[in-house]
Amino acid sequence: MALLSVEDLVVRFRTHEGTIHAVNGVTFELEEGERLGLVGESGCGKSVTNLAIIRLLPKPAGRIEGGRVLFDGQDLTVLPEAEVRDIRGSDIAMIFQDPMTSLNPVLTIREQMVETIQAHRKVTKAEAEKRAVELLAMVGIPKAADRLKDYPHQFSGGMRQRVMIAIALALEPKLLIADEPTTALDVTIQAQVLDLLRNLTTEQGTALVLITHDLGVVAGMTQRINVMYAGFIVETATTADLFAHPSHPYTIGLLHSVPRLDAVEGEELIPIEGRPPDMRRAPTGCPFAPRCAWRLEACWADNPGLRALSGEETVVTTGERATHRSACHNPPTAEEAAAGRPLRAGFTAAPPPSGAIDELGGTTANIDDFGGLVAAIEAEESPIEPFPSAAGLPLPPEPERRNDGI
Amino acid sequence: MAAPAIPAGRSARPAEARASRGLWSDAFRRLLRNGPALVGLFLIALFVLTAALAPVIAPYPPLAGSLADRLQPPTAEHWMGTDMQGRDEFSRVIFGAQVSLVAGVVSVVMGVTIGGLIGALAGGIGGKVDAVLMRVVDVMLSIPGILLAIGIVAWLDRGLPQIMFAVAMVNVPIFARILRGSLLSLREADYVTASRSVGASRGRLLARHMLPNSLTPLIVAATLALATAIIDVAGLGFLGLGPPDPRTPEWGTMLTDSTKFLRQAPWLIIFPGVAIVITAIGFNLLGDGLRESLDPRMKR
Amino acid sequence: MIKYIVRRLIGAIPVLIGLSIILFAFVHLLPGDPATAILGQHATPERVAKMRAYLGLDLPLWQQYLMYVGGILQGDFGSSVINNQPLLKELMTRFPATIELTLGAMIYAAGVGIPLGRYAARHAQGWSDGAVTVISLVGISIPVFVLGLTLQYIFAVQLDVLPAAGRIDPRANLQIQSNFILIDSLLMGRPDLFIDGISHLILPAIALGSIPLAIIARITRASVLDVSNEDHVRTARAKGLTERRVDGRHIMRNAWLPVVTVLGIQVGGLLAGAVITETVFAWGGVGRFVVEAINNRDYLVVQNTILIFALVFLAVNLIVDILYAFLNPRIRYA
Repeated sequence: MALLSVEDLVVRFRTHEGTIHAVNGVTFELEEGERLGLVGESGCGKSVTNLAIIRLLPKPAGRIEGGRVLFDGQDLTVLPEAEVRDIRGSDIAMIFQDPMTSLNPVLTIREQMVETIQAHRKVTKAEAEKRAVELLAMVGIPKAADRLKDYPHQFSGGMRQRVMIAIALALEPKLLIADEPTTALDVTIQAQVLDLLRNLTTEQGTALVLITHDLGVVAGMTQRINVMYAGFIVETATTADLFAHPSHPYTIGLLHSVPRLDAVEGEELIPIEGRPPDMRRAPTGCPFAPRCAWRLEACWADNPGLRALSGEETVVTTGERATHRSACHNPPTAEEAAAGRPLRAGFTAAPPPSGAIDELGGTTANIDDFGGLVAAIEAEESPIEPFPSAAGLPLPPEPERRNDGI
Repeated sequence: MAAPAIPAGRSARPAEARASRGLWSDAFRRLLRNGPALVGLFLIALFVLTAALAPVIAPYPPLAGSLADRLQPPTAEHWMGTDMQGRDEFSRVIFGAQVSLVAGVVSVVMGVTIGGLIGALAGGIGGKVDAVLMRVVDVMLSIPGILLAIGIVAWLDRGLPQIMFAVAMVNVPIFARILRGSLLSLREADYVTASRSVGASRGRLLARHMLPNSLTPLIVAATLALATAIIDVAGLGFLGLGPPDPRTPEWGTMLTDSTKFLRQAPWLIIFPGVAIVITAIGFNLLGDGLRESLDPRMKR
Repeated sequence: MIKYIVRRLIGAIPVLIGLSIILFAFVHLLPGDPATAILGQHATPERVAKMRAYLGLDLPLWQQYLMYVGGILQGDFGSSVINNQPLLKELMTRFPATIELTLGAMIYAAGVGIPLGRYAARHAQGWSDGAVTVISLVGISIPVFVLGLTLQYIFAVQLDVLPAAGRIDPRANLQIQSNFILIDSLLMGRPDLFIDGISHLILPAIALGSIPLAIIARITRASVLDVSNEDHVRTARAKGLTERRVDGRHIMRNAWLPVVTVLGIQVGGLLAGAVITETVFAWGGVGRFVVEAINNRDYLVVQNTILIFALVFLAVNLIVDILYAFLNPRIRYA
């Protein structure tokens, strides 16, 4: 039995502006000790998926509206809050993107580590502190014992992320979810932190879900990759397979839109045009169809779901021999994948069915209309300033009230 | 790629669209959708109309009364009763609106002008000028709230113009700080840096870019300050620093004169008191509404 | 930390100098002859001459200023023109009353305002949140004197459950020692007088504390909501901490910071508000003293009362800054 089994997970946000279809039936499994990458661009639902797993969706708007999350055989979606709380931090730990904001600025590292340990183990403060020092040393913080009394602002960004890792691994969790753990760090520090994560999870046998928008990060880190788009998994394969034979047009687009060191001279970057669909609409058809160069007429109406590329009947969902599956009606060929565009003579992408012109983005929706909620959810992965203050105006001060004493 | 041409990215669109509509018209539309702000506007309209039409609405002259009619409870003839000199309380409250409106507006305008000037000099020039002006502001702020006004009126002697000036001076350091603060934050804003890099002069920058944009917080603060100013004026009047009795009725002064009759004639406290509170609520609601509509991030 | 305190103390010096110049000008630049203005038109020439000498009016202005500052530093605040009492003594006997009142108001404002704000934040957007918003709007819009008179009318005149004015039943012969009625009554071993003192304090404290209460509730609500949306709160939950601990330790420890700042600012409002509250409730503190002094044109009293208020306010701000630094390690170690 798999350690984690997410079955047809559906997450929606109910906001003033309508329902946001954040995750639309995601299914995947994870074995003990396995390392899985979850890749996709901002707002594709990868962070929401993981917040849903440990039931930390922003309340009251975010809700799991379908599916199950089996962890060690228990369905986390129906477990009482107290029991989920026991699992959080001990069996399932999380690391978030921005180490600058993920640690509490007014509490010492000591307190933030000790409280985690004491929340789950009956140990004395001194024992917990001893463990904290070991952990800090383990993540490579020099003079760990002295630094326990320090506050987060006294650490550099990379060191803070190491502290986060130390806290996450404090109770030797079975599963570690790292949400863009290196995005906010300097490039030179990124590699160090990733190495540390890989080494420690391997040593402790911790399963890892690594969420990132950066294919380069997952390349050396994970054994398998799920590519997500608009709340769907559109392609899943072992890491080697995915890079060698990308199959979904979106994955191909991702690979061609980032510069690579091994790029052939003169090979140009091909940006993915358009923008992700309006998440306020119930998804119909393939979510990537409006941006896809390979799309057929069927793509507009029908989402094919993940299918094994080789057409084999039995599907392996985890491990080194996981089946390469992709959700595409018209999978590009290997040559097309390499070229980044359709090469078939006379092929043109199917035009949208009449009456659906606004699929391309001239829709009623834009990110700005969602209200603060989505901004808050996606802030950690969104490069978009959600509410650009008009013309950079200074905003009026907080509702500061005067009391002249009358 | 074979995909059809697609409009600009999502991040750029809304901002551009909004900017093109204009901050002010945009803010105004948001204000009209803000329920509490509309209530505020309504209360303020009521207040201004009462003040403007006082001679038409008021059933009696504010200063005429006979002692025979003194301290009558509210009746059909005297809706709010009569005061200790037999004058119609309703008419006096209505005329009091004139005093409050004029005093509130004059003192806030005076405060914004002087405070704005100090803030503009400090934030615009910076350096030593800034340091000195801000120390002056600190000193003014070290005398808490109304005490500064009390001191000023004590020095200048009682009366309405003195009160207006004193309340203005209470507002001066606050407005100076707000304008200076927004000027300083604007100085770091990208588009100001950009204008500077293409060689715009400091005066031009200040006049064309920074001042207009830093007015937003000042306008919000001024609206909220109208509420406090009206309360402050009434408070100074209540302390007996306002115009002496046979003159125009002032809500605070009316209250002081009535405290002796709390037992016999509570209406003399209730009606002017309610008038002050309603006016203050109006300006507070509008100020909050303005703030929310001028701040694109506050949108719900 | 000590360095921080020293820096803040040094920072207060220019303000103190500026304050002394303004207050100096307040008396020494009175229109006409300051001595005559202070003593009134009908003062005898000897008294005017004495006042001129006391103020040093024949000296150049800068020497007059030095005399004024020197006098204050030696505790010489002059004396009231009305009763010739040394001012320092008068202020000392009246100040405890004002402290009792402002403290009472502050306890009421913070004790109700902070829980109210927390409650509203926890139920954000619900009807109870709306109710708190309305309460604070009305609280901000009711002037102290209107609320004070209303409370007097309801609770003293109509219901007759609380005394309308004064600090203690005038028939009680309280032995004055500290001038704090609440302390003196306990020193006498008379809890009944203590309760009487409290019952006199309730209405004025509510009248004075309601504006700060409304402001504190608003800020607390905004602050708690702000912090609740921060990443580290999500981290705390992800660590498996109980809601109680997340709320008490992680949210509130951060949410306190703006609240503490506002508490400090509100002390200024309370001190100023005491002037009016004491007038409404015939509370024999410094506030009422200054109002009487204005009516008597007792300029020296006005000058020195304002000085005392400003000094207390500055001291409170300093304490708040230190408390803020204590709560906020980013400043403490800066």
